[in-house]
Amino acid sequence: MTPVLEMIHVEKNFGGVRAIDDFSVTLEPGKIHGLIGPNGAGKTTIFNNITGIYTPSAGKIMFDGKDITNTPPHTVAQMGIGRTFQNIRLFSNLSVLENVVIASNLRAKYNLPQAIVHTPKFRKVEKELAEHAMGLLKIVGLEDKANERANSLPYGHQRKLEIARAMALEPKLLLLDEPAAGMNADESVELVEFIKEIKESFNLTVLMIEHHMDVVSNLCDSVTVLNFGKTLAEGTPDEVKKNPAVIEAYLGGADE
Amino acid sequence: MLLQQIVTGLSVGGIYALLATGYSLIYSLLDFSNWAHGEVAMIGAYCAFIVVGTLQLPFGLAIVGGIVGAAVISYLNERVAYRRIRHNRSPNMFLMIAAMGLSTVYQNAAGLIFGSKFVTYPGIQVSSVQLGSVYVGVLDLISLICTAIILVILVYLINKTRFGLNVRAIASNSYTANLLGIKVDQCIALVFLLAGALAGAAGVMLGLKYNVYPTMGNIGLKAFIASVIGGLGSVPGAIVGAVLLGLIETFASGYINSGLRDLISFTLLIVLLLVRPTGLFGVDVQDKA
Repeated sequence: MTPVLEMIHVEKNFGGVRAIDDFSVTLEPGKIHGLIGPNGAGKTTIFNNITGIYTPSAGKIMFDGKDITNTPPHTVAQMGIGRTFQNIRLFSNLSVLENVVIASNLRAKYNLPQAIVHTPKFRKVEKELAEHAMGLLKIVGLEDKANERANSLPYGHQRKLEIARAMALEPKLLLLDEPAAGMNADESVELVEFIKEIKESFNLTVLMIEHHMDVVSNLCDSVTVLNFGKTLAEGTPDEVKKNPAVIEAYLGGADE
Repeated sequence: MLLQQIVTGLSVGGIYALLATGYSLIYSLLDFSNWAHGEVAMIGAYCAFIVVGTLQLPFGLAIVGGIVGAAVISYLNERVAYRRIRHNRSPNMFLMIAAMGLSTVYQNAAGLIFGSKFVTYPGIQVSSVQLGSVYVGVLDLISLICTAIILVILVYLINKTRFGLNVRAIASNSYTANLLGIKVDQCIALVFLLAGALAGAAGVMLGLKYNVYPTMGNIGLKAFIASVIGGLGSVPGAIVGAVLLGLIETFASGYINSGLRDLISFTLLIVLLLVRPTGLFGVDVQDKA
């Protein structure tokens, strides 16, 4: 089976700083892989390399068998990689529904003149898109908030809206950047169930950055531990928790 | 007298609105003051002059020529100058300085090519029609009607179409928009084309009203004032601000003294910046963060 994502010896330098050093990972379809490590370990930089915001200094990134190493962000998104952000980045001045509809550009198969004169085709496509978006809002439990402004939602709902928006791209691969950030224990448990659910119903493969170890243990099939851009350990959540180098890095970090 | 002043004020305000909406759209996307926008209108006015004066073609074609010429220049500004600066991730100040440079280049180029004297569109009859008890300029009426139609289409385009949704998303956060599959560069280029076309229409109308000359683009400042009154970055705000400004200026020249017209508009700008810097329809600046 072709891996959904393959990163091969990826390296990223900023001036003299090596943010990622020789990073490799392979994600088989349907798996959830976790990236953990202290702040500044290069986790979000890995996301930015996958989504095309950065171009790797060396190495190769393959998505679904295709080389996406030098592909611009909008193309990567349209190929089927959805993403959420550590600090929520919604379109705050658009409605909740518009925030989801916006991500379905690829499905909007009509041109500008058709849109201006409102041809039947345009109306049909727009109606389908709105229905599709409403369906996604229903899944995350926000369908009754569809017409509110995105920035009027409470924090937890904004996180869910971001996931719904990423899902509108119909991704094969979903990148979640600290989905449990700012959540309490109960909310984290709920989030774990929610991610499992959407993973099953949409056949997703997931790469996630997370600090909450209970979330990681409950969700991830495998984990990479990063420290200062280097891979410290890789394995199942239980394996890496027992790894001496990992314990050292975490305790060393806590001591300072 | 009053009705006449209102029609004139609305038609001047409409021309300001054609400039201010494009100016505001560009501001909302790129967060910079496009000081070359008035010169784009000036180039549109000269393009129309070439069509009707030099080539002696009908005036209908001159309007098309003005709109197309201005749209192309506006697009080239983005393609050749602004896009490179954006891609270098330079501070927005660089965009503004580039725009100032372009503005100077265009003014001087127009002076070199066409001379610094006023030119008029030949063969245009300035007539009036009687509305009730007063006479109203036909030109004013036509430009008012055309402007109203154009602006209705524009507002519809921004609020109801996929293109408009993409533009609003980029205005909100271009980085995220790009990650969601929106072709940000293409969308920005389209906005420059659109803003240029609007400026071209404004340029031709200005040329009809006040003749064509190299520094006529200074009227772009009025578009800036109008946008600030309405709230920078808001399209409906720019329209309301422009119409208000047009009416205020016309009434000031009609009832006080035409020499005080600019004094009054700029004083209004300063007062507004002091009292309500976000303008009438202004977006909270924190929204952009």
